[in-house]
This record gives sequence, C-alpha cells and structure tokens, in this order.
Amino acid sequence: MTKVLMKGNEALGEAAVRAGCRHFFGYPITPQTEIPEYLVKRLPQVGGVFVQAESEVASINMVMGAAGMGIRCMTSSSSPGISLMAEGVSYIAACELPCVIINMMRAGPGLGGILPAQSDYFQATRGHGHGDYQVIVLAPSSVQEAVDLMTLAFELAETYRNPVMVCADGMIGQMMEPVEFAGEPDALPPNEMGGDDWALGVREGRKRRIVNSLYLSPDELNEHNLKLKAKYDDIAAKETRHELYGPEGDAEGGGGYDLLLVAFGTMARICKTAIDDVRAEGLRAALFRPITLNPFPFADLRRAMDAIEGDGAVFDVEMSMGQMVYDVKLAAEGTRRIEFHGTAGGVVPSPDEVAQKIREILGAAPA
Amino acid sequence: MGDIHIAEERCKGCGLCIDACPRGLISFAEDLNEKGYTYVEFTGDLEQCTGCTLCATACPDQGIEVWNKRGKQTFENTTGLTERMSHYCPGCTHGIIHRITAECLQELGLLDRTVGVAPVGCSVLAYEYFNVDMFEAAHGRAPAVATGAKRARPECIVFTYQGDGDLCSIGGNEILHAANRGEKITVIFVNNAIYGMTGGQMAPTTLPGQRTSTSPDGRDIEATGHPINMAELLATLSTPAYIARGSSHDPQHVLKTKKMIKKAFEHQASGTCFSFVEVLSTCPTNWGLAPQESGDWVRDHMIPQYPLGVIKQPESVS
Ligand SMILES: Cc1ncc(C[n+]2csc(CCOP(=O)(O)OP(=O)(O)O)c2C)c(N)n1
Repeated sequence: MTKVLMKGNEALGEAAVRAGCRHFFGYPITPQTEIPEYLVKRLPQVGGVFVQAESEVASINMVMGAAGMGIRCMTSSSSPGISLMAEGVSYIAACELPCVIINMMRAGPGLGGILPAQSDYFQATRGHGHGDYQVIVLAPSSVQEAVDLMTLAFELAETYRNPVMVCADGMIGQMMEPVEFAGEPDALPPNEMGGDDWALGVREGRKRRIVNSLYLSPDELNEHNLKLKAKYDDIAAKETRHELYGPEGDAEGGGGYDLLLVAFGTMARICKTAIDDVRAEGLRAALFRPITLNPFPFADLRRAMDAIEGDGAVFDVEMSMGQMVYDVKLAAEGTRRIEFHGTAGGVVPSPDEVAQKIREILGAAPA
Repeated sequence: MGDIHIAEERCKGCGLCIDACPRGLISFAEDLNEKGYTYVEFTGDLEQCTGCTLCATACPDQGIEVWNKRGKQTFENTTGLTERMSHYCPGCTHGIIHRITAECLQELGLLDRTVGVAPVGCSVLAYEYFNVDMFEAAHGRAPAVATGAKRARPECIVFTYQGDGDLCSIGGNEILHAANRGEKITVIFVNNAIYGMTGGQMAPTTLPGQRTSTSPDGRDIEATGHPINMAELLATLSTPAYIARGSSHDPQHVLKTKKMIKKAFEHQASGTCFSFVEVLSTCPTNWGLAPQESGDWVRDHMIPQYPLGVIKQPESVS
C-alpha cells in the first residue's frame, strides 16, 4: 500500500469516506475547516451528500435526522461549535442513534484562540449536554492514527448505537504527514448502518417506529437510564484502548521505569520524544497514552502505575490546566504521587520542556 | 336522512360540533362520560341531518363519523392517525390540524413513506398520534432534523409539525435556513399566539396588547416588538416555495386549510419546493376563553394580523 502526504483534516475526510460515510453536515470553524472543504468535493464523487448547516446547533440535528433514518453520517467542528452541539448530542445519545463527531480542539475558554489545545477533555468525557449519557471518545496522536480511528469510530457508533467523538487537538488537523489508508475504499459498506430493526423510513407494511427521548413516566425513564448505563458499562468493559511506550522491548532501559508519564494526543507524541531523550541519559521514564478517553482505561493505567519501581511518581502532561489528571488520580486511588504540567492558549510544551520536568521530578541534573 | 355516530367515550365536551351543525341537531348530554366530560349527543331529528360532515370536520378528537342519505359514509376517521385519545385540552384545535394533515397523507397515498418530526410544545406527543414513522426533535430543531432525514432518504415524505414558540422563537434560525435552502420538506406551523405547553407565556406571535403570563398587562410592542408574520417573512426569500396560511377556527376554514396542506405535500411529493402552511389555532385554556369564543377570537383578532391565503407559490404554478 502506498503512503500519501496529507493534511490531517483532509485525511480525516478521506478516512470518513472510506469508512462508508456519505452524509456530512457541518459549519465552518478553524482549525477543522479543511474537513468540510475536502468533503464538499469528495462526497459528490461517491454519490454522497454535503450540507453546510446554518450553525452547529443545526448540523448536529441534521445528523440526528440522517442517523434516525439509518444512514451513516457525521459532523465535525472545533471547541466553540462543539459547545453548541451539546443539546443535540444529548438527544442523539438518548435516542441511541449512531453518529461520529470530530472535535478538532482549539484553545478556550470563550472564543479563545485557534491554536491547538486539549481543554475540552471534561466536555468530551463528562457533562457535554444534559442528562446521564456518555459519548465514546477517541484521541488520535498522529494523522495516521486519526485515519485509523475514523473507521473504528463508525464501527463503535454502530455497534453500540451511540455517538462517538474523535477528539483531536488542532495540531493533528493542521499538520501534514504521510498516511496509508487501510483496505480499498470502503472499509464499511457505504451509507447503510444496518438499522433494519430500528431506523425510520419507507415502511412497506412494517409497524411504525419512533425516535424519541421523551419519557413522561419516571419509572420508564429510570428504566431507560438503566439500559443506557448497562450499555456504557459494557463499552467500558470491552472498548478501552491505550498504548504503553518505553518499557517493553527497550534494550537500554531494561524494561523497568521509575516515572510514568500520562498524556494523550499530540502531547503524548511530544512526551515520547522527551522520554527518548532522557532515556539516553539513563533516566527511566515510560508513557501511558489513553487512546479511548471515554471509556478511560482505568485498570490498564493502574497496572502501569503498579509497575513503577519503588515509590516513583506519575507525571500527567496536558495542553490544558489539568483535566485528564482527575482520571489519573482516580486510577491511582492515592497510591502514587501525581505530578502535573500543563499549558493553555495554544502553547504547546516542547520535548525539551517536558524532558526538563522529568529530570526535575527524578531529581536528575538539568541537561 | 343522513346518519352520524358520535363516539361518546372520545368526546371532551368542547361543543365545537354543536356550533358547526347548521341545523342545531347536536347538544350536550345530561350525563358525563367515563372521563368526566359532558359529552354531546345527536338530539335532533335524524330526517333533518344531511350528512354534511361539518360536525366531524369541527371535532378535534376523531369523535364523529357521518353517513349521507344514501347510506354512504361521508366522513370516516383517517387511518393516518392512531386511535389514541389526544392529551389536548377540550376545544384545542391541534387535534383538528393533526387530522387534516393525516387525511392529506392518506388521500395522497403517502402514509407508508412519511416520516414526521414532532416539536417541543403541546404537540410534543404528536408521535403518539400520527400513524407514521416519527421523530421527536429538540425545541425548535425540527427543520434541521427534517433536513437530515430528507437528505438521507429523499424517497420519504418528511414533515415537521411545530408551534409558534418552537418555530418562530427558539427555532427561528432552523426554519429560516431550511426554507432558504429549499429543503423538500413540508412544515405545518401551528400559530396559537401563545406558549401553550409551558402554561401561557408570550410568544413572538402574541398580538399587541394580548395578555399572557409574561405579558400580564398586555403585550407591549415598545418593549417586546410586534408579532412576527412568519409566512410573509419566509415568503421574502428568493428560494421557490409554497407558503400559505389557513385557520382552524371553523369547519369552512378547516376545509380550506386542508386544501393548502394537500398542496404542500403535493409539492414535496413532486420534488418541487419547500412547503410551509401556517395554521391559526386556538388555546382556550391559556387564552381563558371557551372553545367557541376562542374561534371567534381567531376570527376577530388573529386573522386581521395574520391574513389568510396562499402567500407564495413556486413560479411554475403561479
Ligand atoms: C431548550 C428548551 N427551552 C425551553 C423549553 C420549555 N418549553 C417547552 S414547550 C415551550 C413552548 C412551546 O410553545 P409553542 O411552540 O408555541 O407550542 P404550543 O405549546 O403553544 O403548542 C417551551 C418554552 C424546552 N423544552 N426546551
């Protein structure tokens, strides 16, 4: 298979098409605009539909409409636009409709800035919209991984009939990297989501169907919430994904580590470079990278923490003022000292900066 | 001699049929029905009933069926609605607008491929009543949901059914842009000049001086602006559309409005254009008026503000 050099946003658009997505609804916002700009040209070539919505409020509701008809569909946006989608995502999750949402995160709060950030972690993994619902959240750390996760995103959405968010920092969307698209176009059969027993549409004699989130009886609504909860528990049991970098297969390091970094997305990539640098100095650091931010790989992280030698610490690094670090603390349950370093506003910590922090934590001399 | 059958158990005692009968053949019973409503009975001389169907046309609750002199059924409950009793207040014309919408879909043979979108408002439960596949959308977002549904399956007939708070206030942007994109959907816009479901607050369509719970001294146009004439506003867009306004306040107007709704669905079925029918409607409970008085209020106060008729047609037709 050949590699092509592509900008992250465009690669994500192509990956969506290869995943069999033919319907896109979205509203322009930096740093994700190349996704709609790519798809407006690409979708007509494969008989697809592109609608530039009047707002993110509308685009997510268009997604609800198409998904309810059993048609694979998606939207993409960046932080302020994702905020506007909160209501719609809550309805879609409540109605158990599959869809994919890309959040190419930019710096906030408010209008913030257009540079990359990871400060929508809470929003993505906790209370985005109202009510007890959850979204599956995937966090790529390279353009290649973003491409690979798009197919997974649609598969998970359809398996669990749940919204899936591909949550990348703007860096992933804006940088160009060589990518390889697995399989021929279409990794998934185009368009149809196999909604034979739930989707609305032409009835041909079958009983009518309703896509609804209103339950006026408290008992029925409680039941509905319990059913959703059981689904989220099932997802948590089966679908966590992570990467452990550093300890295994590392001849010089000998496998063990005295410090465990935790980072996701672009930040994880920077941490890897920093780890390579400090390992060359004989410092033993490793990285735990959650790929699913929700479900968060609590058990795997805890195992990785338990493997830290002695009373070594955990070092969480984020392009935010500290959001994932709460989950890291939950995983540690007080068993480890947790250090944190974060930047905001589009300031991306450099490998040197992270390496320096590692040296400080490990009590090593500055390089 | 015609024949009429009044389903006592469906009657909410609004009395709209009593007013509708040109020969005064229907009146209130002495008793209450099982639900506790003073139901109506046919008390006149059956010889005098011509089977004109005005009583059934005025009934919001699918409570009356009619046969003509030759024994032919002239008014039959539509299969486009389920048999479920609606939750609407007695005399509220949501039920009538549901019925004529469903009748049009049935008569055009579209029921099997229609997908409706219910709003948030009194008609939030419309998905229980329309005998078609239904979405229940977030407040005001029905035109966006309908856009997604129609773009996904253009072979389906997609309609939204929305109140004035839903469509004109919180959903102003969604309706404006669905119309401007010329989405091939049909919008049934029920204008009762008030927020019914939340208990009678001011809507963008509330008339100047009209008292509501959030305009207790009457709507002050200096502070809250004038009523929005949504049909006219949408008609200013250059995109081709079928836009009409009817009323549900008496059987004659109900029949005229039904023609508009039918036209709207025909335009969608032929892929011609976006179609929008505003229907003036009553809210006896929150207006504090009896059902019959509510109809009069529509005639005397709403129609002067909201003129009836076809407001815009796609060029090929006009
Ligand atoms: C986002 C949101 N805001 C407010 C409400 C509360 N609410 C429910 S119905 C309604 C007004 C409905 O009025 P209208 O659309 O005129 O319909 P009617 O009930 O009169 O038929 C409001 C404000 C809501 N459900 N969701």
